[in-house]
Amino acid sequence: MFKSVFRPCAAVAKNARMTLPVRNSILMPQMMVSPIRFYSATTDRNEITQRVVDVIKAFDRTNASADISSKTLFHKDLGLDSLDTVELLVAIEEDFDIQFPDKVADELKGVEDTVEWIANHPESE
Amino acid sequence: MAKRLSGLQKEVLHLYRASVRVAHTKPKQNQPHFINYIREEFGKHKDLPKRDFTTIEHLLRVGNKRINLYSSPELKDIN
Repeated sequence: MFKSVFRPCAAVAKNARMTLPVRNSILMPQMMVSPIRFYSATTDRNEITQRVVDVIKAFDRTNASADISSKTLFHKDLGLDSLDTVELLVAIEEDFDIQFPDKVADELKGVEDTVEWIANHPESE
Repeated sequence: MAKRLSGLQKEVLHLYRASVRVAHTKPKQNQPHFINYIREEFGKHKDLPKRDFTTIEHLLRVGNKRINLYSSPELKDIN
């Protein structure tokens, strides 16, 4: 995951060193900063929870849409079967522009798990 | 989903997930058609016994083939 972030940076840095040897010292710090910003932008868990809850509310198969908290479980509290859960997770994926790997998605049982995983995977937004 | 799922059950879920993802690549106004179609097709075999491995495996193959077919970007709607 990080390789894809760093490799272009490294390539740019190399080019910069060849073409602009003087400004090298000015350019480098900026490049080190940008991946850090990339991280902190989306780790706000409350915001993620809110977005997940909104997606769940928009999902047409839920039967108890009134009170969804971070403790809500898809199967127990929302009455979703395993296929509905899959559908809901894909809807969440779409909203955050990410993809849960199959193994992860099989283990996600509730809002809390899902928010936790999204918060730990900063490529989402 | 408190119970553990068998490998075959997981495969079915993976097929379902792949299908729903394909549906989301289609034009917005037609996506419900695809979702309904997926639900129908899976629903047809809802009562299949868990132990009927050969049938389930057969259906998985059919399903995977059909995903390939429907993934084509030229295919925009379904009835």
